[in-house]
Amino acid sequence: MDKEIKRIITVLTAICILFVSLMAYLTYFQIFKAESVKMNSYNKRLWINEEKILRGSIIDRNGKILAYSEKVDDTYKRFYNYGNLYSHIIGYSYREYGKAGLELEYNNTLLNISESTALNELKNIVLPNTEGNTLKLTIDHHLQEYSRNLLKGHKGSIVAMNPTTGEIYAMVSLPDFNPTNLKEDWKNIVEDENSPLLNRATSGLYTPGSTFKVLTAIAAIEKKDLDREYECTGSANIDGYILKDYDGKPHGKLNLEEALVKSCNTYFGEKGVIIGKDALGEVAERFLVNKKIDFDLPVSKSSFPYKDNLGETDIAAASIGQGKLLMTPLNMALIASGIANKGDIVKPILVKEVISPEGKVLRNNQPQILTKAVDIFTANEVKNMMVESVKRGTSRNASIKNVRVAGKTGTAENPSGKSHAWFIGFAPAEEPKIALAVVLEEEGSTGGKAAAPIARNIIIEALNTIK
Amino acid sequence: MFNKMVSYKYPRNLLMLFELLALFLLFIYSKDNLNKFTFIYGIGLILIVYVSNFLLLRISTGDTYIFLIVTMLISIGLIMIYRIDPLLGIKQILWIGMGIFIFFLTYLVFKNIKGWEEWTYFYGIGSIILFIITLLFGSRIRGAINWISIGGLSIQPSEIIKLLTIFLIASYYTRYEHFKKQKYGSYYLIATTYLFILFLFLQRDLGTVLILYTLFIALQFIYEENRRLILYNLLFSIVSGFLGYLLFPHVRIRFETWLNPWKYIDNKGYQITQSLFAIAEGGFFGTGLGLGHPDFIPEVHTDFIFSAICEEMGIFTGMGIIMLFLILVYRGFKIGINQKIKFYRIVAIGISILFGIQSFIIFGGVLKMIPLTGITIPFVSYGGSSMLSSFIALGILQVASEELDFEEAKDG
Repeated sequence: MDKEIKRIITVLTAICILFVSLMAYLTYFQIFKAESVKMNSYNKRLWINEEKILRGSIIDRNGKILAYSEKVDDTYKRFYNYGNLYSHIIGYSYREYGKAGLELEYNNTLLNISESTALNELKNIVLPNTEGNTLKLTIDHHLQEYSRNLLKGHKGSIVAMNPTTGEIYAMVSLPDFNPTNLKEDWKNIVEDENSPLLNRATSGLYTPGSTFKVLTAIAAIEKKDLDREYECTGSANIDGYILKDYDGKPHGKLNLEEALVKSCNTYFGEKGVIIGKDALGEVAERFLVNKKIDFDLPVSKSSFPYKDNLGETDIAAASIGQGKLLMTPLNMALIASGIANKGDIVKPILVKEVISPEGKVLRNNQPQILTKAVDIFTANEVKNMMVESVKRGTSRNASIKNVRVAGKTGTAENPSGKSHAWFIGFAPAEEPKIALAVVLEEEGSTGGKAAAPIARNIIIEALNTIK
Repeated sequence: MFNKMVSYKYPRNLLMLFELLALFLLFIYSKDNLNKFTFIYGIGLILIVYVSNFLLLRISTGDTYIFLIVTMLISIGLIMIYRIDPLLGIKQILWIGMGIFIFFLTYLVFKNIKGWEEWTYFYGIGSIILFIITLLFGSRIRGAINWISIGGLSIQPSEIIKLLTIFLIASYYTRYEHFKKQKYGSYYLIATTYLFILFLFLQRDLGTVLILYTLFIALQFIYEENRRLILYNLLFSIVSGFLGYLLFPHVRIRFETWLNPWKYIDNKGYQITQSLFAIAEGGFFGTGLGLGHPDFIPEVHTDFIFSAICEEMGIFTGMGIIMLFLILVYRGFKIGINQKIKFYRIVAIGISILFGIQSFIIFGGVLKMIPLTGITIPFVSYGGSSMLSSFIALGILQVASEELDFEEAKDG
């Protein structure tokens, strides 16, 4: 071949290689890089809706405005009326720090944007929407504020809800942060070792301590052939491990009710071993342990790895709420509400209604039974034991004049060395209107001393104010 | 006749179908500011494209595909420009109409006038005069002085200079024997080329520097008999590139924003990152015409039209454009190889390299594969100068694709 032609073909080949490499790079970019590039906060496409649409307000169950947007100098600005109070429920929405809480989970609803399909986009061009939907929460602003004030100075969480409808009245998690000052505080918030960004109510995993005995009691009732009598000497030897009662005091002769009222560790430890890990684990799973809880905010799974190879010591520990158990406060509140609601656990709801800019109710979250955890007879039996616990047992500090309160305390040992103080319960026992879980993290005190009085005040306030 | 019109066997019918569908989409998209002129222009364009493809078949015995490829490219470009700004779209239609007219005019002129290879000095001196005019009267747009305005009309002399350079190199190598006899004759071309590059550096028109240099090196590689000269040139270009990086801050900025544009996202890296957002957002199939936000990219209708196309029509269309250019370049080379007259052979290959390298530089630039230099995509980007000069080049390529019957000039 002619030298000239050969050289021409070399040049052509070089150009072809350049073009093919362009296509290869384009494909590489699209497959491996595009996703992360798109999420950069400088990508205005992420914010185009925010800039054009007035983000919907968030109001409490009585219509009190908790968060709203307003036009300031041609851009919409988000206002959070109550600072820290709703940091974990409403969350925040910022260009720089992203979104959290309901602002994240209900972003599309708040902006009134539907799935991005070509058809919807075309509809949007024809009829652009300029205003988002309002979220009406189940939260009672007064109770929320009241609960937070009671928890102030502690770490921990409070979840208060209606056991028959599943409506969350108050959900507090401390420490928290102020979404209004996020820009100024961001560095401190992120570096704070107490993790103020964590919503302890839904994602905090705590050893439940004696509050878990409620479930052990249910497992005991369900085991028909179990001998419910027991002689407590203050300590018990389980497979070489000495299980002790609080302060090592013997409780003497006990039946199941007395054991729960006095929160007897040796009783539940020994009976738990007889009941067995599978029966106990199965009861726990009916109360949503190890299960994903469907909620308006992301919820961590409570865990009881009973399928693992557990020795008798481990089973005894789990029976009294120690050992390998980890529970979220929301889950504990649901356990209380399940017992209150004749054994049926209702789905917890935070967003009661979605209201369109024209005032039309677009979605109304109706009560929904998540699971039938126990039959009504078992539920009633445990309920009566919990009433007795408040009347004359470890939960005395939660008792209220003229109201029958059911409850169970817990003092959970944990690696920090300072125990968590727990209380779960509901009231009034005959027709429950409120169920709650209170946990004070690393409080170093007992559930009866520290958590029960807080629960008591919340119950009084709720029964007096919530219609 | 009708059967022939709707038959898919004729690419021009497929092209018309594509244009009709795209036009329909555009009308839906911009129905708010639709008027009967838009409609007339749109239909007019489709007719012009169809008729000129048809006409070309009748008058030219050469390659009829290159014009077809180009009309496909201008269609995609125009749709995007109209979608970004209908007013620019209308203007672009006028440029296209003018471009096609110029294409036929160029075709007729080059087909009938002989002796283009004799004008070596004219090409060189003409270019230098254009450079001087640009430097004296040019206005700085986006960092580079490459525009001059005459009576309200802005033109970019570098578009003409690119073609003149191809002619200069072609005529030099056609009359290679003649120049070799002169003292220092074999250095004339190199000296002139570096003079051009110096001018372009002064204008800060780095994109054109890159194009001219590649063009020069590639043609030198094919035709230079003194192979050592090529090596020296390559070495020199590396050294001068390095010096340019050290001496000129605007060269350094290009490199820094290429290596890490995210660091300068709110200033120097803004354009390129916006372009990457658009391409990333589009995915393989695009958001759909009118459903993306290419308007977030600055200069989207000229330098960044490719990003806009990727966003709304997907990277599959982007690859389609790249492949159209690949076929165009391939056919251009084929035309060159088949052309018996040396001058036209070099010109054909020069023009093909020009189309190829110019589109590669800007595709690679907006993708962040290579440093970004602001130049237009031939036939796709908005712009009169670019459109007209590209059509002139295409007209010459069309002539070169035919078997020409005039005698080759004697060497020397």
